[in-house]
Amino acid sequence: MDPSEVEFLAERELVKVIPNFTHDKIYLISGDVGPFSAGLPLPVPLWLAVNLKQRQKCRFVAPDWMDIDVLKEKKQEEADSRFFTPMPSPHYMEITQLLLQWGTDDIPKADEIRTLVKDIWDLRIAKLRSSIDVFVKSGESHAKLNYLTLMEINTVRLFLTKALNHMHQLKSVTSRDTTNSNSQAF
Amino acid sequence: MLVRDFKREFYDVVQHQRVLVLVAFDVDSLCGCKILQYLFQCDQVLYTIVPVTDLQELEKAFLENAEGIKHVVLINCGATVDIVDLLQPEDHVRFYICDSHRPVDVHNFYNAVQVKLLMREDELSTIPTYDELFRDDSEDSGNESEDSDTGYKKKKFDEESIIRRQEKRRWSENRVKVLFDYTKFTSYGTSAALVMFDLAWKLSKDTNTLLWLAIVGVTDQYIHFKTPRDKYMEDILTLQSHVSRHNQRGGDNENTLSINSLKISFEEELNFPLYRHWTLMDTICHSMPIACKLRLWSLKGQKRLHEFLAEMGLPLNQCRQQFGAMDANLRSEVKGKIQEFMSKYGLDIQDVILPSFSLHYGYKSQLCATDYVLSSIAVLESGDKSRSSTDNFLEACDILQKGCTDKMEAGLSAAKLQLRSIYTQVQSFLEMHQIISAGPFLYVFVQEGTADSSYFAHPQCSIRLARFALQAHCAVSRNKRAQSLPLVLGAPLRQEEGTSLVVGIPPLDTDDERKNFFGKAFEQAAEATNTTAKFNNFDSYIIEMKSEDKSKFFDALISILQ
Repeated sequence: MDPSEVEFLAERELVKVIPNFTHDKIYLISGDVGPFSAGLPLPVPLWLAVNLKQRQKCRFVAPDWMDIDVLKEKKQEEADSRFFTPMPSPHYMEITQLLLQWGTDDIPKADEIRTLVKDIWDLRIAKLRSSIDVFVKSGESHAKLNYLTLMEINTVRLFLTKALNHMHQLKSVTSRDTTNSNSQAF
Repeated sequence: MLVRDFKREFYDVVQHQRVLVLVAFDVDSLCGCKILQYLFQCDQVLYTIVPVTDLQELEKAFLENAEGIKHVVLINCGATVDIVDLLQPEDHVRFYICDSHRPVDVHNFYNAVQVKLLMREDELSTIPTYDELFRDDSEDSGNESEDSDTGYKKKKFDEESIIRRQEKRRWSENRVKVLFDYTKFTSYGTSAALVMFDLAWKLSKDTNTLLWLAIVGVTDQYIHFKTPRDKYMEDILTLQSHVSRHNQRGGDNENTLSINSLKISFEEELNFPLYRHWTLMDTICHSMPIACKLRLWSLKGQKRLHEFLAEMGLPLNQCRQQFGAMDANLRSEVKGKIQEFMSKYGLDIQDVILPSFSLHYGYKSQLCATDYVLSSIAVLESGDKSRSSTDNFLEACDILQKGCTDKMEAGLSAAKLQLRSIYTQVQSFLEMHQIISAGPFLYVFVQEGTADSSYFAHPQCSIRLARFALQAHCAVSRNKRAQSLPLVLGAPLRQEEGTSLVVGIPPLDTDDERKNFFGKAFEQAAEATNTTAKFNNFDSYIIEMKSEDKSKFFDALISILQ
């Protein structure tokens, strides 16, 4: 799966915006949006938020977790814990990326938030790599990881499945060799 | 007809069908077009943009694209000609003209149905009244035919009709006079970009990006000597209130804004072209007022410049370095030092300082409005023959896009080449004494086959060359009258056809008006001599003619202006 596809899925998440126009409810296949009234924040899907923002029809409201203190705490928690900790949003990376790309001026302290989210991402990816390392070395057939987000899974998916496939091939060849040599001995 | 409510009478009307946008070739119209384009994108309006260099192309572009089009927006073109007469559109076509050229053609102004003018009302106050220009003659002719039927009253009616005819003659004489007075001078009104920005503001879609485009448009008018300094300052003041509205967020919140967002700030800029991207030495040499006042093209002038730099305490090796690579202490002092010592060298504050805006974006070095103007005009009028004018237009559009740093760099180096070639051309004019006084005006020709002559075949660049040449000539000339003489510049246009571009600019002592009378003068000279000059350009003081007709044409021009 492409990262852009993950982003596409993330665009269904709801974010809050403040529209500058008034409009009735919009009925969409994925659900109803609205009604819009100028100046009142309301939740809309991310794709709609970005589209409205590009056309200067709304301002973003930063999600509750998109705050320096909350993110710092989260980062500390992530660093302290051996395991993955639950994330404030299953698509935190994509949402941050999109909101900051299109609405840098709406999000307070955008630069610091970008850095913090990237830090958390780096921590988690490092954790993921080391656990994969342990998993592959131990030769186990399955492992369980909690609280991984889709984007994170997606970054290792290609590598992990391929690597495990190779391992499996190698294993099956060696085990066949050993059974072959065993049978000849008898 | 003048549009009073831009939103209701222009924008809301245009929205529902595909719009044809015709754009002239200068930076101001480019900016205006980009603002409009952004608005259209916001509201998902279909549009076609066609850049046009002259009236002929305007006609062609209209014919090619007119099918199914109901609304045509003209940016910086078309106001000075009777657009309906020129294009012969179908009855349902509406023209919206946003043009800084003045005077506006009276037919455009009084056409209530097909032509809508997007301009400021106060700038059109000099237009003659309707009764002075048009009168209904059909009634008269109707009466006359009745007269012939009724024979016995003929005599009486004859007297009446004589009176009527006399009155009519008086009226038409007056009409010619009024029209002549009205069209005698060409000048410029508010920049198209600023008008478009006002529209965006009224639609509450104004952003920093659009504001920047408006600033660039206004600066372009000033740099190409279209608006006098007073008008420029007035516009800058208007823009400054917008800038502070967009770029200030109360007190300590200030540093919360991301580095990646666009920031505009008002600054008293040094009036040196591209100085942030050049060496101090070069930029001073290519700055028009300083080069003229110190006469930098002569050896003595160079000496004077060295003296000036020495007095300011700027070492030569630092001045020959890229401005950005100069010693940080020196760099920050440059502005103050220049202001301190300029009076000794006869420089005015206006020569050195230009109130302007600069743009910060990301961690890149800041850019000022003049940088944008110079680099986009250099790309727009690049001498490269292998590229079509539309390519140049798109390239220049990219420069104005934020974040296109590599295109900007390329534009800056093109601008440097252009400035250099203007400077060397002026230098050779002076050394060869090519600027000749013809009595009522000065004239000078760019010789065919000059290395950089391809640059001067473009209108905006040739205006700058003409202005530089005139200013330089006034600086060296002992003749006191030089200040009050206009200048006509000829430059080879297309050598294979033997045509040249002729540009006339007004004298320096009327600089606070920037009104140009050459449009009418050229027209009359061409009529008197029967030369086939082409009045194709949107600026009437720029014409195209066969090189061989030049002497004949100039003789006529002398007799007209005397």
